[in-house]
Amino acid sequence: MAPTTPLEEAYLAHRERLLRFLRARGGGEAAEDLLQELWLRLAAAPYPAAASGLGYMMRAADRLMIDRYRSERQATLRDKAWAEAQPGMVDGIAPAPGPERDLAARQEVARVERALAELGPRVAAILRRHRIDGLTQREIAAEFGVSLSTVESDLRRAYARIVAIREEGK
Amino acid sequence: MTTDQPIRDAALAWAMATRAPDFADWDGFAAWLEADSAHAAAYDAVQYALEEADAVLAAFPEPEAAPEPANDNPSGWLAGRRGWLGGAIAASLVVALTSVMWFAPGGETLYRTTPGKTRVIALADGSTVELGGGSTLALEGERAARLEGGQALFTIRHDEANPFVLTAGGERLVDAGTVFDVRLAGETLDVAVAEGAVIVDPKGQAIRLDPGERAVREGGRFRLADVDSEAVGEWRRGRISFDGASLAEIAAELTRATGTRFTSADTATRLSGSIAMDAVRADPEALEPLLGVRITRSDDGWMIAAR
Repeated sequence: MAPTTPLEEAYLAHRERLLRFLRARGGGEAAEDLLQELWLRLAAAPYPAAASGLGYMMRAADRLMIDRYRSERQATLRDKAWAEAQPGMVDGIAPAPGPERDLAARQEVARVERALAELGPRVAAILRRHRIDGLTQREIAAEFGVSLSTVESDLRRAYARIVAIREEGK
Repeated sequence: MTTDQPIRDAALAWAMATRAPDFADWDGFAAWLEADSAHAAAYDAVQYALEEADAVLAAFPEPEAAPEPANDNPSGWLAGRRGWLGGAIAASLVVALTSVMWFAPGGETLYRTTPGKTRVIALADGSTVELGGGSTLALEGERAARLEGGQALFTIRHDEANPFVLTAGGERLVDAGTVFDVRLAGETLDVAVAEGAVIVDPKGQAIRLDPGERAVREGGRFRLADVDSEAVGEWRRGRISFDGASLAEIAAELTRATGTRFTSADTATRLSGSIAMDAVRADPEALEPLLGVRITRSDDGWMIAAR
Protein backbone atom coordinates (compact mmCIF):
# COMPACT_ATOMS: atom_id res chain seq x y z
CA MET A 1 0.00 0.00 0.00
CA ALA A 2 1.79 3.09 -1.22
CA PRO A 3 0.97 6.11 0.92
CA THR A 4 -1.28 8.31 -1.12
CA THR A 5 -2.82 10.69 1.39
CA PRO A 6 -1.30 12.70 4.25
CA LEU A 7 -3.52 10.73 6.63
CA GLU A 8 -2.10 7.41 5.41
CA GLU A 9 1.42 8.78 5.65
CA ALA A 10 0.81 9.98 9.21
CA TYR A 11 -0.78 6.65 10.13
CA LEU A 12 2.18 4.70 8.77
CA ALA A 13 4.61 7.03 10.55
CA HIS A 14 2.82 6.41 13.87
CA ARG A 15 1.99 2.77 13.22
CA GLU A 16 4.50 1.24 15.64
CA ARG A 17 3.57 3.60 18.42
CA LEU A 18 -0.12 2.94 17.95
CA LEU A 19 0.49 -0.80 17.87
CA ARG A 20 2.51 -0.65 21.06
CA PHE A 21 -0.22 1.40 22.70
CA LEU A 22 -3.02 -0.95 21.63
CA ARG A 23 -1.05 -3.96 22.82
CA ALA A 24 -0.47 -2.38 26.25
CA ARG A 25 -4.00 -1.02 26.38
CA GLY A 26 -5.31 -4.58 26.63
CA GLY A 27 -5.22 -5.56 22.98
CA GLY A 28 -2.37 -8.05 23.45
CA GLU A 29 -2.26 -10.55 20.60
CA ALA A 30 -5.22 -8.91 18.90
CA ALA A 31 -3.35 -5.60 18.58
CA GLU A 32 -2.76 -6.00 14.82
CA ASP A 33 -6.46 -6.56 14.19
CA LEU A 34 -7.32 -3.65 16.44
CA LEU A 35 -4.89 -1.46 14.54
CA GLN A 36 -6.76 -2.34 11.35
CA GLU A 37 -10.03 -1.39 13.02
CA LEU A 38 -8.44 1.86 14.18
CA TRP A 39 -7.36 2.64 10.63
CA LEU A 40 -10.93 2.17 9.40
CA ARG A 41 -12.11 4.65 12.02
CA LEU A 42 -9.40 7.15 11.15
CA ALA A 43 -10.10 6.85 7.44
CA ALA A 44 -13.77 7.56 8.13
CA ALA A 45 -12.98 10.68 10.19
CA PRO A 46 -14.78 13.72 8.79
CA TYR A 47 -11.60 15.83 8.82
CA PRO A 48 -8.56 13.86 7.66
CA ALA A 49 -6.27 16.80 8.42
CA ALA A 50 -7.34 16.73 12.07
CA ALA A 51 -7.18 12.93 12.22
CA SER A 52 -3.54 12.81 11.15
CA GLY A 53 -2.17 14.23 14.42
CA LEU A 54 -0.60 11.73 16.83
CA GLY A 55 -2.78 12.99 19.71
CA TYR A 56 -5.93 12.38 17.68
CA MET A 57 -4.81 8.90 16.70
CA MET A 58 -3.85 7.93 20.25
CA ARG A 59 -7.15 9.24 21.54
CA ALA A 60 -8.98 7.28 18.85
CA ALA A 61 -7.03 4.15 19.88
CA ASP A 62 -8.01 4.70 23.52
CA ARG A 63 -11.63 5.23 22.43
CA LEU A 64 -11.55 2.03 20.40
CA MET A 65 -10.52 0.07 23.49
CA ILE A 66 -13.12 1.79 25.69
CA ASP A 67 -15.81 0.88 23.15
CA ARG A 68 -14.51 -2.66 22.92
CA TYR A 69 -14.61 -3.12 26.67
CA ARG A 70 -18.14 -1.73 26.77
CA SER A 71 -19.47 -4.01 24.04
CA GLU A 72 -17.78 -7.08 25.54
CA ARG A 73 -19.19 -6.27 28.93
CA GLN A 74 -22.65 -5.66 27.65
CA ALA A 75 -22.53 -8.85 25.64
CA THR A 76 -21.57 -10.71 28.83
CA LEU A 77 -24.38 -9.08 30.78
CA ARG A 78 -26.84 -9.89 27.99
CA ASP A 79 -25.73 -13.49 27.82
CA LYS A 80 -26.03 -13.76 31.57
CA ALA A 81 -29.50 -12.20 31.61
CA TRP A 82 -30.54 -14.43 28.74
CA ALA A 83 -29.21 -17.57 30.34
CA GLU A 84 -30.98 -16.74 33.59
CA ALA A 85 -34.24 -15.92 31.92
CA GLN A 86 -34.26 -18.67 29.31
CA PRO A 87 -32.25 -21.65 30.49
CA GLY A 88 -31.49 -24.06 27.73
CA MET A 89 -32.46 -21.73 24.89
CA VAL A 90 -30.19 -21.03 21.95
CA ASP A 91 -28.59 -17.61 21.84
CA GLY A 92 -28.32 -15.27 18.90
CA ILE A 93 -31.48 -13.34 19.67
CA ALA A 94 -31.16 -9.99 21.40
CA PRO A 95 -33.19 -10.07 24.58
CA ALA A 96 -35.69 -7.33 25.21
CA PRO A 97 -34.92 -5.24 28.29
CA GLY A 98 -37.04 -7.11 30.80
CA PRO A 99 -38.22 -5.99 34.22
CA GLU A 100 -34.97 -7.13 35.84
CA ARG A 101 -32.90 -4.91 33.62
CA ASP A 102 -35.18 -1.94 34.21
CA LEU A 103 -34.84 -2.46 37.91
CA ALA A 104 -31.07 -2.72 37.67
CA ALA A 105 -30.99 0.53 35.68
CA ARG A 106 -33.12 2.29 38.27
CA GLN A 107 -30.90 1.03 41.06
CA GLU A 108 -27.87 2.30 39.18
CA VAL A 109 -29.45 5.72 38.79
CA ALA A 110 -30.30 5.80 42.48
CA ARG A 111 -26.75 4.81 43.44
CA VAL A 112 -25.17 7.53 41.31
CA GLU A 113 -27.62 10.11 42.58
CA ARG A 114 -26.95 9.16 46.18
CA ALA A 115 -23.20 9.25 45.65
CA LEU A 116 -23.38 12.71 44.11
CA ALA A 117 -25.65 13.99 46.88
CA GLU A 118 -23.09 12.78 49.43
CA LEU A 119 -20.33 14.64 47.65
CA GLY A 120 -22.20 17.94 47.89
CA PRO A 121 -23.64 20.33 45.33
CA ARG A 122 -20.36 21.89 44.20
CA VAL A 123 -18.65 18.59 43.46
CA ALA A 124 -21.76 17.33 41.67
CA ALA A 125 -22.02 20.54 39.62
CA ILE A 126 -18.31 20.45 38.72
CA LEU A 127 -18.55 16.81 37.67
CA ARG A 128 -21.51 17.62 35.45
CA ARG A 129 -19.76 20.59 33.83
CA HIS A 130 -16.70 18.44 33.15
CA ARG A 131 -18.29 15.20 32.01
CA ILE A 132 -21.49 16.34 30.32
CA ASP A 133 -20.74 19.86 29.14
CA GLY A 134 -17.11 19.05 28.31
CA LEU A 135 -15.47 22.00 30.05
CA THR A 136 -11.81 21.74 30.95
CA GLN A 137 -10.70 21.89 34.56
CA ARG A 138 -9.37 25.37 33.96
CA GLU A 139 -12.64 26.61 32.53
CA ILE A 140 -14.48 25.16 35.48
CA ALA A 141 -12.10 26.89 37.90
CA ALA A 142 -12.83 30.21 36.19
CA GLU A 143 -16.56 29.58 36.15
CA PHE A 144 -16.87 28.53 39.77
CA GLY A 145 -14.30 31.01 41.01
CA VAL A 146 -12.23 28.31 42.70
CA SER A 147 -8.62 27.28 42.24
CA LEU A 148 -7.55 24.69 39.70
CA SER A 149 -6.40 22.38 42.47
CA THR A 150 -9.87 22.56 44.03
CA VAL A 151 -11.45 21.50 40.75
CA GLU A 152 -8.93 18.71 40.39
CA SER A 153 -9.51 17.39 43.89
CA ASP A 154 -13.30 17.66 43.51
CA LEU A 155 -13.14 15.69 40.28
CA ARG A 156 -10.84 13.11 41.80
CA ARG A 157 -13.26 12.60 44.70
CA ALA A 158 -16.20 12.34 42.32
CA TYR A 159 -14.39 9.87 40.05
CA ALA A 160 -13.29 7.75 43.01
CA ARG A 161 -16.84 7.70 44.39
CA ILE A 162 -18.33 6.68 41.04
CA VAL A 163 -15.85 3.87 40.60
CA ALA A 164 -16.38 2.75 44.21
CA ILE A 165 -20.16 2.53 43.89
CA ARG A 166 -19.78 0.38 40.77
CA GLU A 167 -17.70 -2.05 42.72
CA GLU A 168 -20.09 -1.98 45.68
CA GLY A 169 -22.99 -2.55 43.32
CA LYS A 170 -21.62 -5.79 42.01
CA MET B 1 -13.74 -7.71 41.26
CA THR B 2 -11.93 -5.33 43.54
CA THR B 3 -8.90 -3.64 42.13
CA ASP B 4 -5.84 -2.81 44.18
CA GLN B 5 -6.31 0.64 45.66
CA PRO B 6 -3.02 2.14 44.33
CA ILE B 7 -3.67 0.76 40.85
CA ARG B 8 -7.20 2.08 40.90
CA ASP B 9 -6.01 5.51 42.03
CA ALA B 10 -3.47 5.58 39.21
CA ALA B 11 -6.12 4.47 36.71
CA LEU B 12 -8.36 7.28 37.96
CA ALA B 13 -5.55 9.79 37.54
CA TRP B 14 -4.93 8.63 33.96
CA ALA B 15 -8.63 8.78 33.17
CA MET B 16 -8.66 12.37 34.41
CA ALA B 17 -5.49 13.27 32.52
CA THR B 18 -6.47 11.74 29.17
CA ARG B 19 -9.76 13.64 29.27
CA ALA B 20 -7.97 17.00 28.91
CA PRO B 21 -8.11 18.12 25.26
CA ASP B 22 -4.41 18.95 25.27
CA PHE B 23 -3.25 15.71 26.91
CA ALA B 24 0.07 14.82 25.29
CA ASP B 25 1.77 12.23 27.51
CA TRP B 26 0.64 9.19 25.52
CA ASP B 27 4.07 7.61 25.88
CA GLY B 28 3.92 7.97 29.66
CA PHE B 29 0.46 6.45 29.62
CA ALA B 30 1.65 3.57 27.42
CA ALA B 31 4.58 2.96 29.75
CA TRP B 32 2.24 2.76 32.74
CA LEU B 33 -0.02 0.31 30.89
CA GLU B 34 2.94 -1.84 29.91
CA ALA B 35 4.20 -2.06 33.49
CA ASP B 36 1.41 -4.42 34.56
CA SER B 37 -1.47 -6.01 32.65
CA ALA B 38 -3.73 -5.18 35.61
CA HIS B 39 -3.31 -1.51 34.73
CA ALA B 40 -5.25 -1.72 31.46
CA ALA B 41 -8.01 -3.68 33.19
CA ALA B 42 -8.25 -1.10 35.98
CA TYR B 43 -8.32 1.76 33.47
CA ASP B 44 -11.07 0.01 31.46
CA ALA B 45 -13.13 -0.45 34.61
CA VAL B 46 -12.70 3.22 35.53
CA GLN B 47 -13.65 4.46 32.07
CA TYR B 48 -16.66 2.15 31.98
CA ALA B 49 -17.87 3.29 35.41
CA LEU B 50 -17.46 6.94 34.42
CA GLU B 51 -19.38 6.53 31.19
CA GLU B 52 -22.17 4.68 32.94
CA ALA B 53 -22.37 7.58 35.39
CA ASP B 54 -22.32 10.04 32.46
CA ALA B 55 -25.41 8.34 31.07
CA VAL B 56 -27.14 8.84 34.42
CA LEU B 57 -26.02 12.47 34.65
CA ALA B 58 -27.04 13.22 31.07
CA ALA B 59 -30.46 11.67 31.60
CA PHE B 60 -31.10 13.80 34.65
CA PRO B 61 -31.81 17.50 34.41
CA GLU B 62 -29.34 19.81 36.04
CA PRO B 63 -30.57 20.68 39.54
CA GLU B 64 -30.12 24.40 39.07
CA ALA B 65 -29.39 26.85 36.28
CA ALA B 66 -25.82 27.19 35.07
CA PRO B 67 -23.99 30.10 36.73
CA GLU B 68 -23.27 31.64 33.33
CA PRO B 69 -25.75 34.42 32.51
CA ALA B 70 -28.08 33.56 29.66
CA ASN B 71 -27.57 35.53 26.51
CA ASP B 72 -31.03 35.26 25.09
CA ASN B 73 -31.68 38.95 25.10
CA PRO B 74 -29.35 40.58 22.56
CA SER B 75 -31.03 43.96 22.25
CA GLY B 76 -31.49 44.35 25.99
CA TRP B 77 -28.33 42.53 26.95
CA LEU B 78 -27.80 44.79 29.93
CA ALA B 79 -30.89 43.34 31.54
CA GLY B 80 -29.19 40.03 32.15
CA ARG B 81 -26.23 41.69 33.77
CA ARG B 82 -27.85 44.30 35.91
CA GLY B 83 -26.59 44.87 39.36
CA TRP B 84 -23.27 46.60 38.88
CA LEU B 85 -24.58 49.62 36.97
CA GLY B 86 -28.03 51.17 36.92
CA GLY B 87 -29.84 50.43 33.67
CA ALA B 88 -30.40 54.06 32.72
CA ILE B 89 -26.83 55.11 33.38
CA ALA B 90 -25.52 52.10 31.53
CA ALA B 91 -27.73 52.81 28.53
CA SER B 92 -26.42 56.35 28.26
CA LEU B 93 -22.84 55.10 28.54
CA VAL B 94 -23.37 52.73 25.65
CA VAL B 95 -24.30 55.70 23.52
CA ALA B 96 -21.51 57.91 24.79
CA LEU B 97 -18.56 55.53 24.67
CA THR B 98 -17.03 53.86 21.70
CA SER B 99 -16.30 50.80 23.73
CA VAL B 100 -17.34 49.71 27.15
CA MET B 101 -16.06 47.34 29.75
CA TRP B 102 -17.78 45.85 32.76
CA PHE B 103 -16.74 43.65 35.59
CA ALA B 104 -19.52 41.13 35.89
CA PRO B 105 -20.06 39.11 39.04
CA GLY B 106 -18.00 35.94 39.08
CA GLY B 107 -14.86 37.59 37.74
CA GLU B 108 -16.02 37.87 34.14
CA THR B 109 -15.06 41.04 32.26
CA LEU B 110 -17.12 42.19 29.31
CA TYR B 111 -15.88 44.29 26.44
CA ARG B 112 -18.18 45.74 23.87
CA THR B 113 -17.41 47.96 20.88
CA THR B 114 -19.83 50.06 18.88
CA PRO B 115 -19.95 49.62 15.10
CA GLY B 116 -17.07 51.29 13.30
CA LYS B 117 -14.79 51.28 16.36
CA THR B 118 -12.15 48.79 17.43
CA ARG B 119 -10.17 48.32 20.60
CA VAL B 120 -7.17 46.40 21.82
CA ILE B 121 -7.45 44.38 25.01
CA ALA B 122 -4.16 43.51 26.67
CA LEU B 123 -4.27 40.36 28.75
CA ALA B 124 -2.17 39.85 31.87
CA ASP B 125 0.07 37.23 30.24
CA GLY B 126 1.09 39.47 27.34
CA SER B 127 -1.52 38.12 24.94
CA THR B 128 -3.68 40.63 23.09
CA VAL B 129 -7.15 40.63 21.66
CA GLU B 130 -8.08 43.16 19.00
CA LEU B 131 -11.82 43.55 19.01
CA GLY B 132 -13.55 44.64 15.81
CA GLY B 133 -16.48 47.03 15.54
CA GLY B 134 -19.90 46.02 16.88
CA SER B 135 -18.42 43.13 18.81
CA THR B 136 -18.76 41.71 22.31
CA LEU B 137 -16.15 39.67 24.13
CA ALA B 138 -16.31 38.24 27.65
CA LEU B 139 -13.06 37.44 29.42
CA GLU B 140 -13.93 34.48 31.60
CA GLY B 141 -10.56 34.13 33.22
CA GLU B 142 -6.89 34.58 32.49
CA ARG B 143 -6.92 32.03 29.69
CA ALA B 144 -10.56 31.81 28.71
CA ALA B 145 -12.78 34.10 26.67
CA ARG B 146 -16.10 34.01 24.91
CA LEU B 147 -16.90 35.87 21.70
CA GLU B 148 -20.59 36.71 21.85
CA GLY B 149 -20.72 38.36 18.46
CA GLY B 150 -18.64 40.23 15.92
CA GLN B 151 -14.96 39.70 15.21
CA ALA B 152 -11.68 39.55 17.09
CA LEU B 153 -8.05 38.83 16.30
CA PHE B 154 -6.26 36.87 19.02
CA THR B 155 -2.50 37.01 19.47
CA ILE B 156 -1.99 34.44 22.19
CA ARG B 157 1.13 33.73 24.18
CA HIS B 158 1.22 29.96 24.11
CA ASP B 159 1.45 27.90 27.26
CA GLU B 160 1.37 24.15 26.71
CA ALA B 161 0.20 23.52 30.27
CA ASN B 162 -2.47 26.18 30.17
CA PRO B 163 -3.95 26.61 26.70
CA PHE B 164 -6.08 29.59 25.83
CA VAL B 165 -9.68 28.55 25.22
CA LEU B 166 -12.15 30.63 23.26
CA THR B 167 -15.84 29.85 23.08
CA ALA B 168 -17.76 31.26 20.11
CA GLY B 169 -21.24 30.33 19.00
CA GLY B 170 -21.18 27.31 21.29
CA GLU B 171 -17.94 26.08 19.70
CA ARG B 172 -14.71 25.64 21.63
CA LEU B 173 -11.40 26.72 20.13
CA VAL B 174 -8.12 25.87 21.81
CA ASP B 175 -4.92 27.62 20.80
CA ALA B 176 -1.59 25.95 20.18
CA GLY B 177 0.69 29.01 19.93
CA THR B 178 -1.34 31.28 17.90
CA VAL B 179 -2.49 34.32 15.99
CA PHE B 180 -6.04 33.68 14.88
CA ASP B 181 -9.12 35.58 13.82
CA VAL B 182 -12.67 34.67 14.78
CA ARG B 183 -15.86 36.10 13.39
CA LEU B 184 -19.30 35.22 14.71
CA ALA B 185 -22.38 36.46 12.85
CA GLY B 186 -25.56 34.75 13.93
CA GLU B 187 -24.85 31.04 13.61
CA THR B 188 -22.03 31.53 11.12
CA LEU B 189 -18.64 31.04 12.73
CA ASP B 190 -15.46 31.74 10.81
CA VAL B 191 -12.02 30.90 12.24
CA ALA B 192 -8.79 31.70 10.37
CA VAL B 193 -5.26 31.01 11.59
CA ALA B 194 -2.24 33.20 10.77
CA GLU B 195 0.36 31.64 13.07
CA GLY B 196 0.58 28.54 15.24
CA ALA B 197 -2.52 26.37 15.32
CA VAL B 198 -6.03 26.23 16.71
CA ILE B 199 -8.02 23.14 17.61
CA VAL B 200 -11.73 23.59 16.95
CA ASP B 201 -14.08 21.49 19.09
CA PRO B 202 -11.29 19.55 20.83
CA LYS B 203 -13.71 17.10 22.47
CA GLY B 204 -15.56 16.24 19.30
CA GLN B 205 -14.39 16.70 15.76
CA ALA B 206 -11.01 18.09 16.89
CA ILE B 207 -10.36 20.01 13.71
CA ARG B 208 -6.81 21.29 13.67
CA LEU B 209 -6.22 24.52 11.79
CA ASP B 210 -2.68 25.39 10.79
CA PRO B 211 -1.49 28.74 9.39
CA GLY B 212 -3.31 29.58 6.18
CA GLU B 213 -6.25 27.38 7.12
CA ARG B 214 -9.74 28.41 7.87
CA ALA B 215 -12.89 26.68 9.13
CA VAL B 216 -16.34 28.09 8.47
CA ARG B 217 -19.38 26.75 10.28
CA GLU B 218 -22.57 27.28 8.32
CA GLY B 219 -25.77 25.35 8.86
CA GLY B 220 -24.15 23.51 11.75
CA ARG B 221 -21.33 22.00 9.67
CA PHE B 222 -17.74 23.03 9.28
CA ARG B 223 -16.10 23.35 5.91
CA LEU B 224 -12.36 23.88 5.59
CA ALA B 225 -10.88 26.49 3.29
CA ASP B 226 -7.55 28.13 2.61
CA VAL B 227 -6.83 31.69 3.59
CA ASP B 228 -3.91 33.97 2.91
CA SER B 229 -2.11 34.12 6.29
CA GLU B 230 -1.19 37.73 5.54
CA ALA B 231 -4.85 38.60 5.13
CA VAL B 232 -5.90 37.19 8.52
CA GLY B 233 -6.93 40.11 10.70
CA GLU B 234 -6.69 42.56 7.81
CA TRP B 235 -9.90 44.21 9.08
CA ARG B 236 -7.60 45.97 11.58
CA ARG B 237 -5.98 47.71 8.65
CA GLY B 238 -9.36 48.82 7.35
CA ARG B 239 -9.98 46.06 4.87
CA ILE B 240 -12.61 43.34 4.96
CA SER B 241 -12.94 40.28 2.76
CA PHE B 242 -15.92 38.17 1.82
CA ASP B 243 -15.95 34.62 0.60
CA GLY B 244 -19.26 33.71 -0.96
CA ALA B 245 -21.15 35.94 1.48
CA SER B 246 -24.75 36.96 0.82
CA LEU B 247 -25.59 40.66 0.35
CA ALA B 248 -27.41 40.57 3.71
CA GLU B 249 -24.27 39.23 5.42
CA ILE B 250 -22.10 41.78 3.63
CA ALA B 251 -24.43 44.59 4.77
CA ALA B 252 -24.16 43.41 8.40
CA GLU B 253 -20.36 43.22 8.17
CA LEU B 254 -20.10 46.67 6.60
CA THR B 255 -22.28 48.12 9.36
CA ARG B 256 -20.08 46.55 12.01
CA ALA B 257 -16.88 47.74 10.38
CA THR B 258 -17.86 51.28 9.40
CA GLY B 259 -20.53 52.33 11.89
CA THR B 260 -22.68 53.39 8.94
CA ARG B 261 -25.89 51.42 8.68
CA PHE B 262 -26.16 49.13 5.64
CA THR B 263 -29.06 46.78 5.02
CA SER B 264 -29.99 44.21 2.42
CA ALA B 265 -32.85 41.77 2.15
CA ASP B 266 -30.98 39.72 -0.44
CA THR B 267 -29.74 36.44 1.03
CA ALA B 268 -29.44 34.72 -2.37
CA THR B 269 -26.83 36.80 -4.20
CA ARG B 270 -23.37 35.81 -3.02
CA LEU B 271 -20.14 37.66 -3.61
CA SER B 272 -16.46 37.25 -2.90
CA GLY B 273 -13.92 40.02 -2.68
CA SER B 274 -12.08 42.49 -0.53
CA ILE B 275 -12.99 46.10 0.21
CA ALA B 276 -11.06 49.00 1.78
CA MET B 277 -13.26 50.55 4.44
CA ASP B 278 -11.94 54.11 3.99
CA ALA B 279 -13.48 54.32 0.53
CA VAL B 280 -16.82 53.06 1.82
CA ARG B 281 -16.80 55.42 4.79
CA ALA B 282 -16.05 58.39 2.58
CA ASP B 283 -18.69 57.45 0.04
CA PRO B 284 -21.03 54.48 0.56
CA GLU B 285 -22.00 54.68 -3.09
CA ALA B 286 -18.46 53.62 -3.93
CA LEU B 287 -19.73 50.08 -3.19
CA GLU B 288 -21.60 50.10 -6.49
CA PRO B 289 -18.54 49.74 -8.70
CA LEU B 290 -16.60 47.81 -6.02
CA LEU B 291 -19.15 45.05 -5.57
CA GLY B 292 -21.20 45.47 -8.73
CA VAL B 293 -24.37 46.14 -6.75
CA ARG B 294 -26.97 48.86 -6.51
CA ILE B 295 -26.84 51.25 -3.52
CA THR B 296 -29.81 53.34 -2.51
CA ARG B 297 -30.37 55.64 0.42
CA SER B 298 -32.76 54.41 3.09
CA ASP B 299 -34.20 56.22 6.12
CA ASP B 300 -31.26 55.63 8.38
CA GLY B 301 -28.55 54.33 6.09
CA TRP B 302 -27.97 52.56 2.80
CA MET B 303 -29.64 49.65 1.09
CA ILE B 304 -27.69 47.14 -0.99
CA ALA B 305 -29.40 45.22 -3.77
CA ALA B 306 -28.27 43.05 -6.66
CA ARG B 307 -27.97 44.87 -9.93
